[in-house]
Amino acid sequence: MAVAPEKAPEKAPAQRPPARGAGTVALDWAKKGLALRESSIIVVIVASLVYFGATTPGFFSGWKNLLPYFCFLAIMAAGEVFVMTLGEIDLSIGALWLFTPFMYWKLTSAGIPLLPSVILALMIASLLGGVNGFFTAYVGIPSFVATLAMLFFLDGLALILSHSQQITTPGTSVTQTSTFASVFGAGTYSELIWALVIMGILQVVLTFTRWGIYTVATGGNRLGASEAGVKTRLVVVRNFMLCATTAGIAGILEAVRTSSITPDPSGSNQFLLYAVAAVIIGGTLMTGGEGTVVGAFLGALFIGILQDGLTLKSVNANYLYLWLGIAVIIAMTLYVLVRRIRRGSGRG
Amino acid sequence: MADQAFAGQPIVEPSTAPDDVLRIEHIAKRFGPITALRDINLHLRKGEVLGLLGDNGAGKSTLVKIICGFHKADSGSMWLKGKPYAPKSVLDARAQGVDTVYQDLALVDELSATQNLFLRREQTYRPLPFLAGRKMRREARAALDEIGINIPRIDLPAARLSGGQRQAIAVARAIRDQSEILLLDEPLAAMGAKEGAMILDLIARLKDRGDVSIIMIVHNYVQVFQACDRANLIQDGLITFDKPTAESSVDELNEIVVEEYRRARQAEMSGNGEASRYNAA
Repeated sequence: MAVAPEKAPEKAPAQRPPARGAGTVALDWAKKGLALRESSIIVVIVASLVYFGATTPGFFSGWKNLLPYFCFLAIMAAGEVFVMTLGEIDLSIGALWLFTPFMYWKLTSAGIPLLPSVILALMIASLLGGVNGFFTAYVGIPSFVATLAMLFFLDGLALILSHSQQITTPGTSVTQTSTFASVFGAGTYSELIWALVIMGILQVVLTFTRWGIYTVATGGNRLGASEAGVKTRLVVVRNFMLCATTAGIAGILEAVRTSSITPDPSGSNQFLLYAVAAVIIGGTLMTGGEGTVVGAFLGALFIGILQDGLTLKSVNANYLYLWLGIAVIIAMTLYVLVRRIRRGSGRG
Repeated sequence: MADQAFAGQPIVEPSTAPDDVLRIEHIAKRFGPITALRDINLHLRKGEVLGLLGDNGAGKSTLVKIICGFHKADSGSMWLKGKPYAPKSVLDARAQGVDTVYQDLALVDELSATQNLFLRREQTYRPLPFLAGRKMRREARAALDEIGINIPRIDLPAARLSGGQRQAIAVARAIRDQSEILLLDEPLAAMGAKEGAMILDLIARLKDRGDVSIIMIVHNYVQVFQACDRANLIQDGLITFDKPTAESSVDELNEIVVEEYRRARQAEMSGNGEASRYNAA
């Protein structure tokens, strides 16, 4: 299993361990971070790369084809990590992914320039996330229910705003790519760069800032955290807002990349499920208190590899679901077991 | 009023010492029809460890929750270092230097010992928002050394610490907060002999420092005599016993409790037991 072999436990706890060099500390860190959570997804990714690389001609040479499959998922998953680390779930990110581009389109139609429209649309998305958080933290509705309501509400709103018609994304054209478009998703690597930057920032926020510590504390022991003075409700609202914002970003990037927006709730909710799967495969349990943004990125990458590889092999999409199902349950089982070992025997 | 209702039951009258940090007089608290505390008089001297004894339901926890700001008393008054003390909330009480340590509640399993110790008091590389991890680890180590607690690896998640170590971290956190009065809710419950000894050691060390005063709820009479300077016994919402542990014994305490039980039985027999007791308050 993925448990790292550890040094023998200190036998005489009477003295503190000797000071360790920066290298050992870094190694310890690497062990701690990777050994338990992300290692299995890395193994799985390498295995799937080897498999598709060996059996599918053109898999590696056409690696760029992989990007559209996973980059926007990674962005959605990054935000969802913050919610699932709380032990909550946001089911409305698919709907937000769909709705935010329509909001952006409406704003530009009202004469607002492109960039301010993007920013405004994202602020609206974040406010909607705040509504999710408010109902969850202050009204006391389970997040599953609160965000389910938001899902239907926004799907409906998106259909109403668009009159169920596909529209052309403002600021894009099929014949030429403007600077705006290439920055916001249409450039070959643009989504990848967004995904990497967002992953980097959010992982740092989760591990190295108060926001992250309070997220873990709120997810791990809400009563204890608030006893210690953490404003747990505020943390919940804040994380839902963050999650909604990343979903909005992903939605706008996809709309610009494909240069059209289709009001198709079933498609967008498919992506919700992929994003949640990516978070879980990556090692963020919904049990609360544990989360990894890098893991979610890797989870999304794995889903992208499956989609791309199976498409190239011209296998029909049903296999994707099959493998995804197996991956999710294996991932979850593995983490639960690792957790049990960690807690049970008192060493990892 | 309480005296009339309980002729025969000794009640500790308000008393004070010159070096009191906390003084409580005539505190009463009802929850609907149930009277939890009737007339509580209690004082705590600087650097003292006061053991709070009493059966389940006698009112120990209610009293502690009033002192720590969780409940408000219906009547009565409290003084903290000579000034009127009426905490609006747990946070308010903490800001005034009164902190409670719960055994199970306090720590977040997923955070490390250091992170728990610094929860809500994190240090950052100002003006950057990043946590000063190494600095906090160093200070955590120093803070734990200071109160004589050895935790071999403070980077480990709290889930992997023992009950005693967890308690110690919670205490260390309260002390780092400049708390002057610590309320310990059954610090020795559900703890093995070794762990219990460690906590008793910790309490003794705090006593030596002299700047922290402690009220602890204890069940075990023997432990009261090991850890506390003075013992108070709560029975039916009244403090009925207040003596330095040096002048008392386990037997005396036992005697009082057995006596109370007999009296309760008698009241029940004569048929007007519970009704008259609660109505009186």
